[in-house]
Amino acid sequence: MIAAMRSRVARAALAVVAALACNDGLRPTTCSGICGTVTFNGTAPESTQAVFVVAYHTFPHSRDSLFNFQPPLGALLRPLPLGGGAMFYDIPVEAGRYEWVLAVWVKQGFNLSNADSTLREAGYYRDPADTSQPGVVTVSTPGTAAVDFVVDFAHMHPPCHYYSPPCP
Amino acid sequence: MPLAAASGQGTSLLFGVVRDTLGQPVRANLRDVSGGHETTADGTGRYRLTVIAGTAVVRVGYVGLRSIVDTVVLAAGDSLERDYRLEAAAVELQATIVTAAKHSQLLDQSVTSVALVSDTDLARRAVSTVDEAVNKAPGVLFLNGQVNIRGSSGFVEGLGSRVLLLVDGVPANQGDRGGIDWDMVPVADVDHVEVVKGAGSALYGSAALGGVVNLITHDIPLGLHGQFRATGGTYANPPYDAWQFRDYTGGLAGVDATGSYGTETLRGSLTLGGRHSDGYREQDRSNQWETSGRAEWVPESGTRVTASGAWTSHQYQNFPTWCVAGACDTRGQAYQPFMIDNSGRGSYTRSNKGYVAATLDRTSSPSFAWQVRGSWLRTHFTDANPDDWSVANRLGAEARGVLHLGGGDDRVFTVGIEGAHTGTTSDIFGDSGRVGDHTEIEFAPYGEAEQRIGRLMLTAGARLDHVIVDDSIATTVASPRIGAVMPSALGTWRASAGRGFRAPTLAERYVTTTAFGFKVVPNPDLRPETAWSFEVGNSGAFASWGRVDAALFWTEARQLIEPAFIVFVDPVTHDSTPEIQIQNVSRARLRGLDASVAITPVPALTATLAYLYLDSRDLTRDTVLSFRPRHLFTVSSDYRWRSWSVGADFRYTSRIERIELDQIFGQDPRVPARVLDLRAGWERGPVSARLLVTNALNYMYNFVPRTLEPVRTMSVVATWTY
Repeated sequence: MIAAMRSRVARAALAVVAALACNDGLRPTTCSGICGTVTFNGTAPESTQAVFVVAYHTFPHSRDSLFNFQPPLGALLRPLPLGGGAMFYDIPVEAGRYEWVLAVWVKQGFNLSNADSTLREAGYYRDPADTSQPGVVTVSTPGTAAVDFVVDFAHMHPPCHYYSPPCP
Repeated sequence: MPLAAASGQGTSLLFGVVRDTLGQPVRANLRDVSGGHETTADGTGRYRLTVIAGTAVVRVGYVGLRSIVDTVVLAAGDSLERDYRLEAAAVELQATIVTAAKHSQLLDQSVTSVALVSDTDLARRAVSTVDEAVNKAPGVLFLNGQVNIRGSSGFVEGLGSRVLLLVDGVPANQGDRGGIDWDMVPVADVDHVEVVKGAGSALYGSAALGGVVNLITHDIPLGLHGQFRATGGTYANPPYDAWQFRDYTGGLAGVDATGSYGTETLRGSLTLGGRHSDGYREQDRSNQWETSGRAEWVPESGTRVTASGAWTSHQYQNFPTWCVAGACDTRGQAYQPFMIDNSGRGSYTRSNKGYVAATLDRTSSPSFAWQVRGSWLRTHFTDANPDDWSVANRLGAEARGVLHLGGGDDRVFTVGIEGAHTGTTSDIFGDSGRVGDHTEIEFAPYGEAEQRIGRLMLTAGARLDHVIVDDSIATTVASPRIGAVMPSALGTWRASAGRGFRAPTLAERYVTTTAFGFKVVPNPDLRPETAWSFEVGNSGAFASWGRVDAALFWTEARQLIEPAFIVFVDPVTHDSTPEIQIQNVSRARLRGLDASVAITPVPALTATLAYLYLDSRDLTRDTVLSFRPRHLFTVSSDYRWRSWSVGADFRYTSRIERIELDQIFGQDPRVPARVLDLRAGWERGPVSARLLVTNALNYMYNFVPRTLEPVRTMSVVATWTY
């Protein structure tokens, strides 16, 4: 009886060792979601509340789709630190295709109902083949790196600039 | 259980030493079964037990060792030396518990599952805090310091624990936040811990929704005794160069000193201690000073007056969340788990806490005993970044009587009444962000009856809690419980159904702060969360060297109190703003299997395997309940050879499938946890030394968002006992 039990203990110990051999804990990750470097041009206006990087699966051509970005609104926790020349950023988004990755400037006093007047596009990732156009980013697991672009505080545009039809 | 014989008879003295079969001293419990006197052997195994003169039946017991029942004949005034040797046994049936029914009973008589953490477990794990010891109990998991019994609490940043902490039966959850300060009592004072699983509100009221943890402190032995304990250790550095964050190795150190003196009528003890830790992360240092004391007066046989108290001052840096890209210089990494988010820099807490309690226990006849107690619990924290503070005072009182009709255990009635007054002054839980006061008054009668019918022991009881907040918001909650225990050839079967509840804490009702960039607004209209818990279990020996305990459990919870996003619309401008508010939002179901096997193939070797399968559902959102791992597997083993011992714990925790604020942290990496702890010890006479290596593989994992669990920590504990 004891010998059989000892054998069971030995098998259990082997199982534990096997489980331990598979060490898949946290590891250094250079990117998860979309990451890259933003370079700042100019100085942020005094009325700045924050600047965030967000991504749209589909380009927002109307007010209805203005808030369909990733990460969702509640995730806008990590404003880009301002004041430096360049900053590594990382936004946690799910895998998929994104038509627009941009920096959003948020004016003080922003709320959901005055978004058109308090949000600005401050710069976006551009198509390397045609830099006048937004670049499409395809995110795979664990992430897509080198999505670099420039934030230019001197040339910002309201959301309606990109609506169809655009605002005057 | 039979209770004390009436006073007035002559007494005799039994003394000696209790050891195990390897010659090691055992802190055994010795009880004069017929007379009711009881004592505990000291660290060297020495004991002195007063017995009623004549023929006395003495039971010598210790968890994990086979009990001895001895009959001695002594004339009044005589003394007799008697040494006892206890054999290791996984089949020990006589462990005595006091928490499950609010009176002393055998473990197998409990209608709900109870896990025990013995002082041997505490000693050989060389823990510095109580939570480290409780964490390895079957079915128990700590998430960043928040205790979960069968997945009860989840994780809500310390607010509103769904587990009630008791210190020698005195409720000790924070008065304002409802959380648990595990550093309230020095670990050197704790003799053993009882963990009662499932809803315990039928006897304990609010907070016992998911279970009760009772810290039982040491009895004070007769004579002069002392213990000095010194701890020193180091934290491992990050396993990857990319995560290095400091150019030195972090350390920890601590000392505890306990002295006690006891006579037949007066006993007292005092503990002083302090510890420092560099922490294993950036901004993780802490310093702690603690003291506790206890005095007992036994004016006559069957009467005991106890006064006890503890005070802890803990200053610690906070590490709110680790750093992700954009929140600090991550040196090109997506995240740096050892480095702090810049927004949390300077975050610091000074937390002072303590309690005093007085208890009068009286065994007035062989069939009736009663107890009255009063207590004062105070917590005071001051935070820097964000700056806030709170002071809470909780005054509690309880009167309880236990009637054993016929002097035995066949028919037992427990009745009592408990009340508490909590006052809070705070800026964060005050008046919409300003300093304010709130009060909560609780008043609850309760009763439970146990009746044996043949082999079946039936239990039925209820408690009626009346809670009044700020003299205006009143709530009444009834918490019934029924249960049954029946021994059989296939072990002892148990079944129970009980209702639990947790009244919202003052913090949950009135918190006003900012979290994750959103305003958190108060909700004075919160209602209690409630749950029905059902359990069927079996425990017993399957061989001379093995014992099993298994239970199927099912909990249906309603009105769970959780943070939720709301949209605030300004009545003037009609502007809308997202805000966070604590609300009654969820229905939930937790069900599963909680099983453990203990084996002792040879006296020197013990092993325990424990497994918890948890199926948890958020029925409101039709998803997995957040912060509940599905599998929890623990294996522990210890081997002793002469003065040496070695042991290990391995715990596997499956990957947490869902977390709160998933839209914020959902993309963060989460992994299953595989943690191996190793230990070795040496004992000779009054001196012992223990080496403990926790997380020996330096496995990197986290349970709650952006919070790395402890790295490999190596510590040495040296103890001298007089």
